[in-house]
Amino acid sequence: MTRILLKSRLDDCLGAWRTAGFSVLAPVKRNELTRFDEVQAASEIALDIVITERTIKEHFFLQTEPLIKYQISKKQIETEEMLPPERKRVFFGVRPCDAAGLDIDDPLFGWDYKDEYWFRRREGSVIVTIACSQADDFCMCTSVHLAPDSTKGSDLMLHPLRDGRGWQVVPHTDRGKALLEPVAPMLQEEVAETAPVPDVPVKFDLDKVSSWLSDPANFESNFWKEISQRCIGCGSCTYLCPTCHCFDIQDEGDTYNGIRRKNWDSCSFALFTMHTSGHNPRNTQSTRWRQRIMHKFNYYRGKFGVNSCSGCGRCTRQCPVDMGITETLHEISNLPR
Amino acid sequence: MGIQEQYRKEAAELLSSGAVKLVIGYGEGTTADRRRPVFIRSAEYVGRLVLDANCVANLSAYLVQEGLLSDGKKVAAFLKPEGIRSMNILAAEAQLDPEQVVILGFDIEAGQATSLSGRNASDFTALIGSLKASGLSPELQKEADRLEHMGSADRFEYWKAQFSKCIKCYACRQVCPMCYCRRCIVDVNQPQWINTSSHTLGNFEWNIIRAFHLAGRCVACGGCDRSCPVNIPLRLINHRMAKEALDTFGHFAGESADQKPVLATFRQDDPETFIL
Amino acid sequence: MIYNPFPMRVVSKREEAPGVRTLKIEFLKQEDHDFFKNHYRTGMFGLYGIYGEGESTFCVASPETRTDYIECTFRQSGRVTSTLADVDSGDIVTFRGPYGNRFPIEEFEGKNLLFIAGGIALPPTRSVIWSCLDQREKYRDVTIVYGARTVADLVYKHELEEWKQRGDVNLVLTVDPGGETPDWQDHVGFVPSVLEKVAPSPDNTVAVLCGPPIMIKFTLTALEKLGFSANNVYTTLENRMKCGVGKCGRCNVGSTYICKEGPVFTAEEVQAMPQHDL
Repeated sequence: MTRILLKSRLDDCLGAWRTAGFSVLAPVKRNELTRFDEVQAASEIALDIVITERTIKEHFFLQTEPLIKYQISKKQIETEEMLPPERKRVFFGVRPCDAAGLDIDDPLFGWDYKDEYWFRRREGSVIVTIACSQADDFCMCTSVHLAPDSTKGSDLMLHPLRDGRGWQVVPHTDRGKALLEPVAPMLQEEVAETAPVPDVPVKFDLDKVSSWLSDPANFESNFWKEISQRCIGCGSCTYLCPTCHCFDIQDEGDTYNGIRRKNWDSCSFALFTMHTSGHNPRNTQSTRWRQRIMHKFNYYRGKFGVNSCSGCGRCTRQCPVDMGITETLHEISNLPR
Repeated sequence: MGIQEQYRKEAAELLSSGAVKLVIGYGEGTTADRRRPVFIRSAEYVGRLVLDANCVANLSAYLVQEGLLSDGKKVAAFLKPEGIRSMNILAAEAQLDPEQVVILGFDIEAGQATSLSGRNASDFTALIGSLKASGLSPELQKEADRLEHMGSADRFEYWKAQFSKCIKCYACRQVCPMCYCRRCIVDVNQPQWINTSSHTLGNFEWNIIRAFHLAGRCVACGGCDRSCPVNIPLRLINHRMAKEALDTFGHFAGESADQKPVLATFRQDDPETFIL
Repeated sequence: MIYNPFPMRVVSKREEAPGVRTLKIEFLKQEDHDFFKNHYRTGMFGLYGIYGEGESTFCVASPETRTDYIECTFRQSGRVTSTLADVDSGDIVTFRGPYGNRFPIEEFEGKNLLFIAGGIALPPTRSVIWSCLDQREKYRDVTIVYGARTVADLVYKHELEEWKQRGDVNLVLTVDPGGETPDWQDHVGFVPSVLEKVAPSPDNTVAVLCGPPIMIKFTLTALEKLGFSANNVYTTLENRMKCGVGKCGRCNVGSTYICKEGPVFTAEEVQAMPQHDL
């Protein structure tokens, strides 16, 4: 016997969560774009897509986040911290890779200095994942030792039933269990078979990649130049990545009033590391691509014990020139050694 | 011999004779219908070149990569008519010497890649001239007409909804052959002309500025549109500017390498409809 | 909130060299001041800012022995520094910090100290110099080798004079060839070559070296030649930063986050970093 949520009860379920004070965000297609956004009814939810084009990251680490409002008068400055409102949110229908992405970024936003923007949103949110029942050519979760049904970052996981009527419901955290309380009447106990997860082929050998990257001699390898030749230096892969977390801090306003903001920034951009003197430690696209790969699969792992990649494949899926992490790591796996 | 074989052979000859140092073309991509830019420097690798109806990207943007042509050597590039047009503009704007580019021209007709005769920019003037009358694809034209018939308030709402999706990844800029500035206006911070933030206002600023900077220069290759990871129909806004340049000044961007940039040129008989 | 800076009042502004200024700023709030006093150690850095323009990263140029105020010295070059250069006494600026690690000056006790600085990099060195000179009895011989492109480019000229007058500091000044004035009495030549002539014995000596990358490179070679081991030479690295607290992702050299694991490193540590990422 397992606990089941039928699709026909989903609307009641969303309603119960809203009554309990939660906003519900789910995958939707609006204005020709798939992303997570607030929904009122189950009919708005795009449940049949492999993965949303944008990640749920943007609801925790905003593309532009107001930090401080300032007002300047003669010899006096008034400032006001702009912290996000404490909101209870359910993210319904998250893919396991996106949920894992949040988990991967937690230690970064928390080491020593705790980023309140990230954690306030994290603490108010419950992540309800749906195990994948389909994958596309770009999915690569298995290559980074995750899976279409891995529970990393999930408070609650739904496993699609074989007959398509609904999902098996499995809580993984206390927060997940608590979320089931208001919807208990909508769940039922049944013997039901869950659908098989899709077979996502392994595209690179992560262990080989790790060992190649950790050899200092390879930092200057010509490989980096060759693999990144066609990179045009846009920020698409970084902004669509569920784990990329780099940002800029910018003031916006006139001389007297304005807002200091924290904005997404990208290691792909030439100006990212440019000193005022004009010196730029990463002055070519190949050094910037190397930084991206090294950061994700070497530095981050060294600092936080986890690779900064959850295998969603968006970097390749949406790359204007068909580059991405998969190709680079595949090539590294196949380098003679 | 199909066009792919023909161009592989020609690329091999160009490379082995030393006529060019590099061939910029298309290769296999991640999926069966994807092509990716490839850079071939030796005749032994021409087998990597692919040419078929999936080769849609405008590769001319790579011609202005920093330092590529500074040694005076020649480069060959697979270019569709739009690519040749943007190369002409780059030449007209003194960004490259067309003599340095061997054009392996092709077009896509009825789902097939077909070769274009001529290897120098000047060989294609007549062909490009003949394209002047050809408009948008039927489905884009339909979308353009729909926008055209909207009231200004509705149109504003339409673009607001579209631009609010923008994440300022600058893929549109990076993929565009016309965006060759080493420091884009949005990256200038003394003074900071444009907000760097990607809120709706900042997104409007960015997208409108780019549209203005492309007025009379965009060749409608669709690169920005295809690159946009959040599916903003950028082609429509650029098309509108191109239409304006054509209707007002009879300017069809990139007709030849010595075409004068329309917004940098003054003619006695220029219409002055916008000056009161 | 970790990105919220301390408001600071400008006490005074000093012209050091063409385009180089020092600001002396003090805390507006007691709690901020207490935090600074409790946490600041020489070598740490901060983000100095002005609302409407942003923040810019540089070291705290004042020593840990004088924490009633903060001094910072910067070259006017970017958006923030150009605005900071224009402030007047009484204006409000901001400070976020102190961040990063420190020069371990307790470990320097009982040793000879050799300070080497080039151009605008005297400020971080000066913070350590005063931190040690203010407890002069703890250290043995103190040698300061400071060079700049021209005489005009030497910063802290009044303090150079003060150190020169002190009997317990050996100050060696040099300017690059062609940078001397007719009445220049000190050395003419690049720091590494001058250093080779004036350096104390490496025995029981710690060196603190700050300067532009090219100077660091040649000075390290000179120090090695003089018998200094790389783990006895301390330096401080700079990189573009936005957050200062290990999150914004740009200041790393290889796997090392300058903002958190630095900015102070031994030469040995710097040499172990991927040199092409510097």
